[in-house]
Amino acid sequence: MKTSLLAADARTKKRNAAEARFKAYGFAAIIVAMLALLILLTSVLGNGMSSFRQTYIALDVALPEEKLDKSGVRDLSVMSKVTTIGYAPILRNALLDALAAQGIETELSDKDIGNMISKEAAATVRNKVLANPDLVGQTVSFDVLASGRIDGYFKGRVTMESAALDGNTSPEALMIAQALADAGVIETKFNWNFFVWPDASDQRPEAAGLGVAILGSLYMMIVVLVLALPIGVASSIYLEEFAPKNRWTDLIEVNISNLAAVPSIVYGILGLAIFINFMEFNQSSPLVGGLVLTLMTLPTIIISTRAALKSVPPSIRDAALGVGASKMQSVFHHVLPLAAPGILTGTIIGLAQALGETAPLLLIGMVAFVREYPAAYTPDAGLFGEASTALPVQVFNWTQRSDPAFVERASGAIITLLVFLLIMNAVAIYLRRRFERRW
Amino acid sequence: MEDMYHADRAMSTQQDIKIKADKVQVYYADNHAIKDVDVEIADKTVTAFIGPSGCGKSTFLRCLNRMNDTIDICRVEGDITIDGEDIYDPKVDPVQLRAKVGMVFQKPNPFPKSIYDNVAYGPKIHGLARNKAELDEIVEKSLRKAALWNEAKDRLTAPGTGLSGGQQQRLCIARAIATAPEVLLMDEPCSALDPIATAQVEELIDELRQSYSVVIVTHSMQQAARVSQKTAFFHLGNLVEYDDTDKIFTNPEDSRTESYISGRIG
Repeated sequence: MKTSLLAADARTKKRNAAEARFKAYGFAAIIVAMLALLILLTSVLGNGMSSFRQTYIALDVALPEEKLDKSGVRDLSVMSKVTTIGYAPILRNALLDALAAQGIETELSDKDIGNMISKEAAATVRNKVLANPDLVGQTVSFDVLASGRIDGYFKGRVTMESAALDGNTSPEALMIAQALADAGVIETKFNWNFFVWPDASDQRPEAAGLGVAILGSLYMMIVVLVLALPIGVASSIYLEEFAPKNRWTDLIEVNISNLAAVPSIVYGILGLAIFINFMEFNQSSPLVGGLVLTLMTLPTIIISTRAALKSVPPSIRDAALGVGASKMQSVFHHVLPLAAPGILTGTIIGLAQALGETAPLLLIGMVAFVREYPAAYTPDAGLFGEASTALPVQVFNWTQRSDPAFVERASGAIITLLVFLLIMNAVAIYLRRRFERRW
Repeated sequence: MEDMYHADRAMSTQQDIKIKADKVQVYYADNHAIKDVDVEIADKTVTAFIGPSGCGKSTFLRCLNRMNDTIDICRVEGDITIDGEDIYDPKVDPVQLRAKVGMVFQKPNPFPKSIYDNVAYGPKIHGLARNKAELDEIVEKSLRKAALWNEAKDRLTAPGTGLSGGQQQRLCIARAIATAPEVLLMDEPCSALDPIATAQVEELIDELRQSYSVVIVTHSMQQAARVSQKTAFFHLGNLVEYDDTDKIFTNPEDSRTESYISGRIG
């Protein structure tokens, strides 16, 4: 039977239909994935963007000498006897003065009005005064933190209805805050301190920041980079270029692949046993965290480095050996430079993975509440030996707090973490493009 | 070309022996790839290895500069001597050997570096030049010998991989002769080239004969006839026949050689 090219036969139709269906499945999968990503990003950004802004009250604070410096000669040992409890009424009075100056009348007690100011504010002012004792006796302008509830009101988290049910604030306080905002005394502005300040206690979410966590994560990344990159690259070069191919190297290869799939919490237990219990490094320290993350990142780096070395065409090795280069010269002069983009990409992706890792850090105690900025080196604690926390652990920590203001902080920390990861991946792509060479 | 081929016959007889192979066996694991090969390769001569695919001619060629060392499962037995020295002696460093026995591969494989660096690499790692001026001189001399100087002199810093296929192969030849080898091994150097580039490379091979002992593996019998003075025919791992090129192509002794050159086996 003669068939026409213009009419598709049954078999062709069936084949084309199958292909069209398959394309539709693939497209649907992409849509689902994009939707999931969209939901994730909207939820995180919706919750977290407000953490980058913070509400401040501009106060002219009179710093009375009789309260703050009983010695009268700016003796720091005497001045530091005045605790934040001594500073709180001074700030409260400043706020009351501001209310009076703006002509705002209220039925609220002085104590409730004082509660509009963050508990952290007294500490901030005290630190400034102790740093510069000459301020005593003067009236100084401070931008002090508003309390978490007031801050929440300007960010839409706290409403009149929720305030009516809230023991920590009241609709009246919010109305005063609104009046002060209208008068320009209360202002919500960009919050650099979120990236600088350390964590804060449950009562003062407005003062909680990522400073210690960022520093801790940075220290750990340094440890990981310094240890994992040379060890990983050197072992890959040995395995790929020099080691004889026998049962032992096969066994090692299989085990490295398996290590890459080991749950990270297992590395945490290992780190706890080896680095803290046996080697007695400080717990919660970025050194131990970095060592654990190094163990975790090594398989990733080794696997990607070996893949990069393998992808260098053998003709390049032949060419180098053919002109009389030694094995090592052929590897270091020719193979390694060609594999470098792949190695760098693998390393950065391994680092990014380590940056976001939480579970092993919980086990080695990096989940502790740390207010002190860890020093890179101290004679007592050694290199990276001071207690610290890390970005993902900070997220974990904040999501467990009861105050909803910490949900905002946690989302803000997630955004920060995602931005760091995005930057690292962008650098990886850039380096790959930049150094990629054709042959 | 025809004239060259006839002229060569007369002078191909009385040359010194450069490479001597005696009862060479090569095994890939259990596979006996080269069986009992005895051959004497003369200095300042082009020797061609011909034979069907898989006959072992490339394997034998790679024994001559110990490139087979890089293959774990490969094992070589028997004696191969260059100037009377056993190259498989434990005291021999293959790296030194390869500086003496240069190699050009089937596919042009310049380093992804500049033309200059490609040629200068060998002299640099062997310390053949004391300073930049000497190195420049070696590079120029090698490129001239490889008939690439005129095309490349204005773009020495351009990447070697940006050249055409034929130019790349000549660059590889320049790279091989830059280390001042005594023997030049060529593993099907023209199989990836077009006829014009092939002709250029063949012409070059004939000139290189003045200074080196050249061993060339080729699939093209015409090429063997054009460029070589001696020809060895390999079949299934055996060296079937080894004689002057014109004798092999006009009056072979072995029936297998005759079948191959007349196209009946291959």
